[in-house]
Amino acid sequence: MHEPSPETVDAAELELLQLERLQSTLTRAYRQVKFYRRRFDAAGMRPEDIRSLADLRRLPFTTREDLSENYPYGLFAVPLRDIVRIVSSPGTTERPLVVGYTAQDLRLWLELLARLYRAAGVTREDIVQFIIPPGLANWRRDLQAGAEHLGASVIPAATLNYAKELMVMRDYKTSVLVATPPAARHLLTVMRALELSPAEFSLKRALLVAAPLPQAVREELREGLGVSLARAYGITEVMGPGLAFSCEAESGFHFNADHFYPEVVDPESGRPLPPGEEGELVITTLSTLAFPLVRFRSGDRTALDPTPCPCGRTLPRLTGIFGRVDAICSVGGIKVHPEHLRALLREALGGHLPPHSWQVAEEDGLEVLDIHLVLDETLFSDEVKALEGLCRLVRRHLQDHLGITARIKLREMTSEG
Amino acid sequence: MLQIRNLTASYGPVTALAGVTLHVREGEIVALIGANGAGKTTLLNAIAGLVRREGEITFTGRSLMTVAPEELVSLGVALVPEGRQLFAPLSVADHLLLGAYCRHRRVPAREIAADRERIFQLFPRLQERLEQPAGTMSGGEQQMLAIARALMARPRLLLLDEPSLGLAPLVVEAIMTTLARLRKQGLTVLLVEQNARAALKIADRAYVLETGRIILSGAARDLLADRQVTRAYLGRDYKEFTDGR
Repeated sequence: MHEPSPETVDAAELELLQLERLQSTLTRAYRQVKFYRRRFDAAGMRPEDIRSLADLRRLPFTTREDLSENYPYGLFAVPLRDIVRIVSSPGTTERPLVVGYTAQDLRLWLELLARLYRAAGVTREDIVQFIIPPGLANWRRDLQAGAEHLGASVIPAATLNYAKELMVMRDYKTSVLVATPPAARHLLTVMRALELSPAEFSLKRALLVAAPLPQAVREELREGLGVSLARAYGITEVMGPGLAFSCEAESGFHFNADHFYPEVVDPESGRPLPPGEEGELVITTLSTLAFPLVRFRSGDRTALDPTPCPCGRTLPRLTGIFGRVDAICSVGGIKVHPEHLRALLREALGGHLPPHSWQVAEEDGLEVLDIHLVLDETLFSDEVKALEGLCRLVRRHLQDHLGITARIKLREMTSEG
Repeated sequence: MLQIRNLTASYGPVTALAGVTLHVREGEIVALIGANGAGKTTLLNAIAGLVRREGEITFTGRSLMTVAPEELVSLGVALVPEGRQLFAPLSVADHLLLGAYCRHRRVPAREIAADRERIFQLFPRLQERLEQPAGTMSGGEQQMLAIARALMARPRLLLLDEPSLGLAPLVVEAIMTTLARLRKQGLTVLLVEQNARAALKIADRAYVLETGRIILSGAARDLLADRQVTRAYLGRDYKEFTDGR
């Protein structure tokens, strides 16, 4: 029997597949996770009340705060002995984000990664080089594993400076670059500084992940590196980069709707929005065993396009990722929540938080966080050394906890504060 | 080929199926595994219209909800019930003839005779026992006959209820091998089994049913490797229950 490709199944078949997987996911979540059982009970519902995909709307959302409150294992739906990988990341709250995987979850996730590589035109003949900053260690590992699963020759991310990365890229005849957009831009900046031309490289494609890619940057990279571009979208809470991928039609991201159910809702009211309308992406897992998520609010702003793509895939598309609906910002692909950042600043400054502000800035193509701190009475010192030490301390604290590069600027107190 | 949505069935106050949704594609062997009392047999009986049911069942696009059990065979669906349900005094030949009753006078007799020959190729033992009363045959032979009887109706979808029940491992293997051969010939099979390992070995996909609800589904090879399935249905990993973790 030839199994039809899940990427091209017709809408009716996809809908039935989603419904049967949704019903079994909700049954497992209800029977095995206290948090979800309480949620169902509070809503006066049982899993069998979900008789259609639209019924899912009757269930409440799951938020990052819920994940934090159930730290570390409260949302796992299988016994720990069935978990083969426990992934932690800084998260956007004070507690790390914890996601568990069973062996079957890992197999699924490799299959989804292979999907995104295939759509990007990557094959086992390719030499794939990774330049992904250490702050995105989980994405780095996931994407490398996916490329190895595909059978490509993988050059894992190393702690090389960008000039050496370029040397590797040229000498090893790298054909595919996997990087964050800021890392790719920085690479291009260094390439130009060293007066290297794309013709000296064997690079054909770049897969850009983990951070937004404005149109201008896309064109700059396409031309500067002389490559075709592909992209992947994902969130750490739901299998990292395996959620959605671009195709040759370059028209949004194909959402792996056979394993995850997407909704777009009004971020204020939570009301589901029709296709084409922009709102917050909400995700329900349909296949993952260890860590089911029911109506998880991603915080990412997008719109859904269910029409078939010129590439032939029928998986619905996210038309793009148009920023955040909340205050979380991305620094080189790493998500930073203002509350979390403030807590870290307070920690670094010995429990005191002076007036402050911040913004994401660019340094040679790389994204950094500029933080302005007001030297109030507590922080003030007339010794330059002490002030330099303060900046260093904050910088290191943020690097250690979030993996981001920060530039600390001190400002004297003015009459306005 | 077969699509089921929100199927429910009860025996009085006891809910046996609490909203089951599943599908079987043409040419697949799909296994339905689960413990005793999970609702497996009820599901097959509900498809066949032998119990009161609610929900949707479509076969090749046509709803089966208003189809009487006796009409189902002519639509291309045959059920091999649990416990074989043979007529003890009737011979093998009689059973095969009975299996083809819905084709009687609708197709030339030679076509039915040719089908019988094909059955004998599949189950040579039945040819050897042609005149033997079914009640005197071994459990394995009876199971073969029950399947053969269903095949004589030329079904497109075969519903099989616990074909391995009470059979020796070697006989179970022979039955499963035959099912795999039938699938290669284009038959679609929905196989209900308590012997999860045997079923998962030949199935393409499988569903795990627990107290009337599907709790897991996936490729059969993935479920064979799944630790929860292993513990609950494959009788392995006894140590995991007793190692104090």
